[in-house]
Amino acid sequence: MGAPSIPRALAIGAVAFVALVAAPLATGSTVLIDFVIRLSALAIFATSLNLLAGYGGMVSFGHGMFYGFGAYCFALMMQRTGVSIPVAFLTTVVGAALVSAIIGAICVRLKEVYFSFVTLAFQMLIHAIILAAMPLTGGDQGLRGGVPRPVFLGVDLSNQMQLCVFSAFLLVASLLVMHHVVASPFGATLRMIRDNAQRAAYLGVAVDRVRLKAFVIAAVFAAVGGVVQALFVSGAYPEFAYWTMSGEGIFVIMLGGLTTFLGPTLGSVIMLLLNDVVTRFTHYHGLVLGIVILVAALGLRKGLGDFVVERLADRRRQEAA
Amino acid sequence: MDLDALFSCFASASCVITQATSGFIIGMLLFLVAVGLTLIFGILKVVNFSHGVFYMVGAYLTLTVFQATESFTLALVAGGLGTALVGWLVERLFMSRIYGADSLMQILVCYALILIFDDLVRMIWGAEFRSMGMPSTFQLPPLFIFGGVVPPYYLFVIAVAALIAVVLGLVVSRTRAGKIVRAAAHNAPMVSALGVNTTVVYGLVFAAGCMLAGLAGALAAPVRSVTPGMGFSILIESFIVTVIGGMGSIVGALVGALLIGLLRTFGALGFPLFNEGLMYIFMVVVLVARPTGLFGKETA
Amino acid sequence: MSTDKTRGGHPTASDAVSRRSALALAGSAALVTVAAPWVARAQAKTIRIGMPTILSGRVATLGISSRNAVMMEVEKVNAAGGLAGRPIEMVVRDSKGQPQEAARVVRELVNTDGCEIIIDAEASSAAFAVHEVARDLGMLTIHTCSETSQLSADPKLRIPNAFRCVRQGVHDSVAGAAYAAKIAKEKGLKKWATCSPDYAYGRDTTAEFIYYLKQFVPEVEVISESWPKLFQPDYTETITKLLQANPQAIYSCIWGGDLTAFIDQGNLYGVFGKAAFFAVNMADYTVLTAVKNLPAGVHSGNRYIKTFPTTPQNAAWGDAYRQKYNEYPTNWSWENAAAVNFLAEAAKKAGSTDGKKMSEALKGLTIDSPFGMNGKITMRAEDQTIVDYAIGWGTTIPKEPYMPNVTPGDWKQIVEYETAWKKSKGYL
Repeated sequence: MGAPSIPRALAIGAVAFVALVAAPLATGSTVLIDFVIRLSALAIFATSLNLLAGYGGMVSFGHGMFYGFGAYCFALMMQRTGVSIPVAFLTTVVGAALVSAIIGAICVRLKEVYFSFVTLAFQMLIHAIILAAMPLTGGDQGLRGGVPRPVFLGVDLSNQMQLCVFSAFLLVASLLVMHHVVASPFGATLRMIRDNAQRAAYLGVAVDRVRLKAFVIAAVFAAVGGVVQALFVSGAYPEFAYWTMSGEGIFVIMLGGLTTFLGPTLGSVIMLLLNDVVTRFTHYHGLVLGIVILVAALGLRKGLGDFVVERLADRRRQEAA
Repeated sequence: MDLDALFSCFASASCVITQATSGFIIGMLLFLVAVGLTLIFGILKVVNFSHGVFYMVGAYLTLTVFQATESFTLALVAGGLGTALVGWLVERLFMSRIYGADSLMQILVCYALILIFDDLVRMIWGAEFRSMGMPSTFQLPPLFIFGGVVPPYYLFVIAVAALIAVVLGLVVSRTRAGKIVRAAAHNAPMVSALGVNTTVVYGLVFAAGCMLAGLAGALAAPVRSVTPGMGFSILIESFIVTVIGGMGSIVGALVGALLIGLLRTFGALGFPLFNEGLMYIFMVVVLVARPTGLFGKETA
Repeated sequence: MSTDKTRGGHPTASDAVSRRSALALAGSAALVTVAAPWVARAQAKTIRIGMPTILSGRVATLGISSRNAVMMEVEKVNAAGGLAGRPIEMVVRDSKGQPQEAARVVRELVNTDGCEIIIDAEASSAAFAVHEVARDLGMLTIHTCSETSQLSADPKLRIPNAFRCVRQGVHDSVAGAAYAAKIAKEKGLKKWATCSPDYAYGRDTTAEFIYYLKQFVPEVEVISESWPKLFQPDYTETITKLLQANPQAIYSCIWGGDLTAFIDQGNLYGVFGKAAFFAVNMADYTVLTAVKNLPAGVHSGNRYIKTFPTTPQNAAWGDAYRQKYNEYPTNWSWENAAAVNFLAEAAKKAGSTDGKKMSEALKGLTIDSPFGMNGKITMRAEDQTIVDYAIGWGTTIPKEPYMPNVTPGDWKQIVEYETAWKKSKGYL
């Protein structure tokens, strides 16, 4: 994967951004507006998890804790301190980096499935703390009373349309930065460690330090996803930091594809559509979802994004031949 | 925190006995679920996230057979064997396709199985929770042992679980079948080359693991509420047990389960509001100090 | 069969997806979801009422019983001409009990499905999430399941378009404590233990009950507290802790399947023979019909019970529900049924289905209801929540009528203590 030049990346980003907001702006459909906001939250989260799991080989079962952290930190800053939205946003990002650096320092030393377990344990611990810290977090009932959104730089996030544009902007910006990370030499080192940590160590790579960096970067973007979610529901709830959130993230990246950068975004689209459509028609949506997963997982044996990319590559090869 | 309550308990024999036996009962049921999990991981190298499903299936089968026949013995047997059959089918249809696949794929398939089975149970038995009730044989007043209170049914449960632990230990370490299983865990292609059908071995091991979870569900059915999704809470705890004890180790599962059981009962006295948190902290500490668990092989 | 359908769907899906346009797909694919409801949106005269509730997962029964009750009442309202002449069409959606999903579903119900009113049959955190959507979108909303007092008591959270038609934790606690105080005095029960689920409802209700009990009987002392997790499968450690404490009375607000498990396991240790047991959620048909070995003389508050209020209207309602759905109504059933009754009366009074006019009409509205203490329930104007609903305590038996004699609570006393409680919280 070659890193595109910065002007080119920005151009792609601009096109994607326009494509994302065009339909909601043109139609004014509140469903489309809500969809783009929810998609932004989920896709940023899923892509950040893929950075860790797909590119770094670190399958975290606890990535949801940073999503929850982002939502709580941002919502609490807005409710309690009266700072502006950019300040609260930056504080959340820095906070997520600090917290993940501490948790990550312990987690990245463990390999394979043990890494998964220790991240799960931390997540359950964070969830237990959110429930126990009633006066601050509101416990199991979540942070109530709404998240205030003062106007900043002429942007009014209490207007759903503006929130939609803002979320789409965050999504595109996050994807661009994460893509840049993946395509950089750092990303190459990360993949090398994933494929063969021992060889990387022989080559003089400080394996754990690289893994920790990836862990922190992924956590920061998970928190950004959490901020978008907090703005959407105007609150923060312990469910955001629960294992189900991490599970949904894993499901989304598997659905969309691990090796294609946009796979998790595609997976997010499918996941949201599946959820929105299936829950309308049946209360047995678990059954439907389960069957879809089994067919996708055992039938395709890879994410839809990967499947499509490979099929296209095959076709191109055939045409060349 | 309420450390006084904890210390005053340690000073009284009756309290220690009551809390210790109740820790054992929680631990032994956990052990049955966890040992299946650990067996499946040790031999098939699959982290079976859907293991709680089989605990639930066992409980529902037992409840149904008990209500139809009024015989608890028959219900227990049906719960165990029925779950083994369901487990075997799941292994043949789904699990056998993901051996050697990366762990994400395994998680995904297990996640799908949880979703499917929870909804199937809702379709068949309804969304409402069920209560089986104690079989009349065990409707007895509690025993008093050195001042400690011990219900007879729980003695029965502990005895059954202990028997299973011993039999399992003997089968794996002393018999020819156990040798094959251990060898298959070590080097499946080699065992296969020696003329043993590893496909059958894998199917049987998975079914046996599920049967143990089903038995745990069967033994729990008279005292716990039987409800869709009941497998989940026990799944997380049995995971903690296997991780603490060491993935793949039977002794580890036993020790881990008892430790968690005792942590819960004594923790409830000392830390009533953060009992759950204690468990996660314990797990993190063990993982950091010894990533492969207390009884796991170093080179996992 | 589902497999075939899914397979059949694949070619179109993969044809539509090209690598470069994956992002653009987000927009276009969303159009698919928009299209479906627009087609169905036809009769302009009907009024749509949206209802998010929990229809899957562990407590699905509660959501189903809410929907059943709403459907039963809506049929009656429609037969009588609808809301100000407009027949009601219910749109019920599953929220899985998750706050973010409840918020999304409600936005969709209002924005896409054209629902003008929301009956919010959500518990706990999801109800607060729906409340925020109601603040944002301004549609008339009636909360029908969240018992958390703060939802209506806290003036900071209050909005003119949201009402609550649910029994309330603090009301239950005053009535329960007054009832328990009488028995405590008669039998000299001084040493109490509590055992309640570790979440907001459990903690608040228990703290309030004990607070009032101590006001009525100052000698009462709490010698042990246990806080099992919600949906915990095993209560052995809690039960043995109770044994160690050896109290004269136990208070618990554990509910549903957790309560049956707690009782089954407590029976093994003979806990209930030794101490009086006050379980506010015992007299709920789902628990009473499930539990196999009910200890004698458990004290409980009423949830929904046919025997209280002892009026023919109440008994008839319970029988009608049972006949229609072949199961007993739950606590959530009457709350949702009453909400529909309130909407019908409000529309009649306002002569309109306009949300603002109906909100005005709802404030202080008193309706005839089988669930009222004296045949009437009032939507109190100052905090937009109901009072004068049936509230009482009694002892349970393992077969019909399950709770034969109920001692009614005293609403004058309840309101008096509630006002003091609100002052102590700074709400007044």
